[in-house]
Amino acid sequence: MEQAGFRDIRWGTRVDVFSGSAHESDAKDFGTLGITIGGRKPTQRG
Amino acid sequence: MTEQVAPARVDRDALRRQISDKYRAVALDPQSGFHFHTGRPLALMLGYDPAEVDALPPSAVESFAGTGNPLSLGRLRPGETVVDIGCGAGFDTLLAARQVGPGGRVLALDMTDAMLEKARLGAEALGLKNVELRTGYAEDLPVASGFADVVISNGVINLTPDKLAVMREIARVLRPGGRFQIGDIIVQTPVPQDAKDDIDLWSG
Repeated sequence: MEQAGFRDIRWGTRVDVFSGSAHESDAKDFGTLGITIGGRKPTQRG
Repeated sequence: MTEQVAPARVDRDALRRQISDKYRAVALDPQSGFHFHTGRPLALMLGYDPAEVDALPPSAVESFAGTGNPLSLGRLRPGETVVDIGCGAGFDTLLAARQVGPGGRVLALDMTDAMLEKARLGAEALGLKNVELRTGYAEDLPVASGFADVVISNGVINLTPDKLAVMREIARVLRPGGRFQIGDIIVQTPVPQDAKDDIDLWSG
């Protein structure tokens, strides 16, 4: 995200979103989590 | 320090077809069961307000397949212009349209026609005039540069092979000072390159 030029990256919630689903086992193998993330485009480049 | 992540080596068009087929099924037959959760139970798991969920058309809720709650990062402000990448049946689109109000607008994009049709019907059911729907891909948004105050997306970027290209497109369509609010997934254990390159693993 920083490579795309974003700043002020902030993480929100993390949820075990595949818990209880058919994908749960594979998801656990890779520590997969549902997340929210935000950021801001600078007002000026640089 | 920023880690460079290599794009997956997959046939992008074949991947799009496979994913679109999967989400067409989520649109047309949402009760059939998928390898991920869907619908109202998923929305409550992700922390959406039950009252706001229940105020949406059932057709938008039943085909919801997000992985986070982008709007939990902050409510949208009245009058803002929003782009929703991979809007699906319109779950977040409709919530966003209500938050920005009649003075704002939401441009919602998806590559699956069956999802766009459900989103259109949902906006119509709620009488929302500030929703526009377009067919489009995350890596090549049919949106003018500097158009949006906010870009939202939910469970979509993980389905694209070149994440950096998507983020650069998001940066392009945002105005200077604009922001993104995204729900998606992360992995805490590196995925082997051969698994990333296996198209059959992308959509389950």
